[in-house]
Amino acid sequence: MLTVVKILVLLSIVWALVALAVEVMLARGGGRRDYSQRTGSPLKGMVYSFTVAMLPAHKETVSRHPAKFAIGVVMHIGVILALLCVVLLVIWPQLGREAMSLFRPVVAIALVAGLYLLVRRIVSRDLKALSAPDDYLAIAATCGLLAFACFASTDAAGQTALLIYAMLLFVYLPLGKLRHAVFFFIARGDYGRRLGYRGIYPPARRERGVA
Amino acid sequence: MPASENDGLKTTATARQALKDSIRGLGAYHANACVRCGLCAETCHIYQAEPEFENLPAVKAAKVISHYRRYHTFLGRYLPWFVGAKDLTAEALDELVETVYGRCTACGRCGLHCSVGLDVAAIMRAGRNVLAAVGKVPDGLERTVANQLETGNQMAIPSTELVSTAEWLSEDLKLEMSDEDVQVHVDEPGKRVLYMVNPREVKFFPLSLMAAAGVFHAAGESWTMSSKFYDVTNYGFYSGDNASARELTRRVMEEAAALGVEEIILSECGHGFRSFRWEGPNWLKQEYPLPMRSILELLEEYIDSGRIRVDPEQNTERVTLHDPCNLVRWGGISEPQRRVLRKVVKDFVEMTPNRKDNYCCGGGGGMLSMSEYGQRRVASGKVKAEQIRATGAKIVATPCHNCADQLIELSKKYELGVEIQAVVELVYNALA
Repeated sequence: MLTVVKILVLLSIVWALVALAVEVMLARGGGRRDYSQRTGSPLKGMVYSFTVAMLPAHKETVSRHPAKFAIGVVMHIGVILALLCVVLLVIWPQLGREAMSLFRPVVAIALVAGLYLLVRRIVSRDLKALSAPDDYLAIAATCGLLAFACFASTDAAGQTALLIYAMLLFVYLPLGKLRHAVFFFIARGDYGRRLGYRGIYPPARRERGVA
Repeated sequence: MPASENDGLKTTATARQALKDSIRGLGAYHANACVRCGLCAETCHIYQAEPEFENLPAVKAAKVISHYRRYHTFLGRYLPWFVGAKDLTAEALDELVETVYGRCTACGRCGLHCSVGLDVAAIMRAGRNVLAAVGKVPDGLERTVANQLETGNQMAIPSTELVSTAEWLSEDLKLEMSDEDVQVHVDEPGKRVLYMVNPREVKFFPLSLMAAAGVFHAAGESWTMSSKFYDVTNYGFYSGDNASARELTRRVMEEAAALGVEEIILSECGHGFRSFRWEGPNWLKQEYPLPMRSILELLEEYIDSGRIRVDPEQNTERVTLHDPCNLVRWGGISEPQRRVLRKVVKDFVEMTPNRKDNYCCGGGGGMLSMSEYGQRRVASGKVKAEQIRATGAKIVATPCHNCADQLIELSKKYELGVEIQAVVELVYNALA
């Protein structure tokens, strides 16, 4: 049974990767050459976008809402750990079981963070008005993964439950809001690349406080 | 099928195609990345002035994205209600007008501070592309584009008026600089520089043009303007009408070739700089055959190379600097104006925040041409007004004539008691 489930999980991962790759290619639409004369470095812009530009001092969404942002970060850390457990259970079961036990406290905190974000989306008037059913499903599904990773036992039954849930999550991943897991990196990279091209990222040395 | 229904279908089809063309390649990554966290609210000057749901950047972006999702995502096609995807109907297009033109200046501040890195301005611009394609650009903005296409400049100033303005400015300059050789050059082929200005400088604020002419003369520059195509602005960029924006760019490049200049220098205009310097080559789908710079870069070069000498004692009042969004956040020109100001004024202070993190003055995105949103425009400038007040400055230097119009209005409305000047005016005043 467990072997079959593992094969299904692998297939669902392949599905998610292929579907996301297709979506990225469609979104790219063939790309566009920039004919303007470059003054900066797209690569440096991308690096800056993923590093310094994400620090609270450079991001008002973070500096103005540190608690909400931190809660979001905690939840995402939990998701990464939970997914790591899933992958390990498939390819290296012994290590996967150990990882489940090891990460359980962090995943539990991430679950609380996820539930907070779900409740916030339900009770906040603005967020509620901004949300579609997919927004609730995405976060509820994430909480579900965290809950399985947190509470499932490390025996065969527990592993099977976590893997079946993860398989369903991978099927949903490219279809709904969860695809931001990939598009986040592409959007931020694209933004950094364009600002880098124009010499906006990274900012001038003087602006960064360097004499 | 009734004619009106047929027209409606055609409009929808055109809008869908425009959405596909504009959002893919640039904005589609971003359309798929928004998590609708709503943390961007306070990054927007319009939301700060009017903290309404409709002014949340995430809400504004979501309205455009909802249409993208409807036609370009799997669940959007088959379960639109589930992912908040919406049909691009005539009613939806009407609703979109206020969102993308009236509630957003596309200043890009929300994108810079977005925790995801979502380029909201690109998404809003895609919305404007769609509305321009189906003829739903607000009248004032549309008229400005039409003026540019029909007359060569957005204010429909006849060429003869530019020539006569250049003549009397030249006479004034001769007296002021005590130099018979100083002149505002028009339609003179073979010069090194083609200087592009905002028609506002010709019509209402000739001191800027006069100052530039004075500085060019002091630097021994070889320069000219074109009486046909001297307008540095490009309202096609604001309206989302890429075809018009392309045509306006093409005419200027042709004129530059006809005059045989070696470089184009753009006057102090935020969106003009961005349009010509960064977007123009992409509209034309070709690299420019000659360089193009902001006058701010040239002013710095003049000072650094010693081609002009300046004395900061000529500008003793406290000066602060407004950063136009399209010049700084989107154009990458943030330091030349600072280095120049530090050399030509005695007391220079920064606003907070500044540079790429600056707040939009509220007059961007073509807002000044859309009287229907005038009240919101002035209200949304309150953040900028408070920034200015906090500096204690008497003069606000702004390298954008569009921003200057808004800042003059803000100074009156919020009783700031400040004078608005172009950077080149301060340089001219400091000429030693």
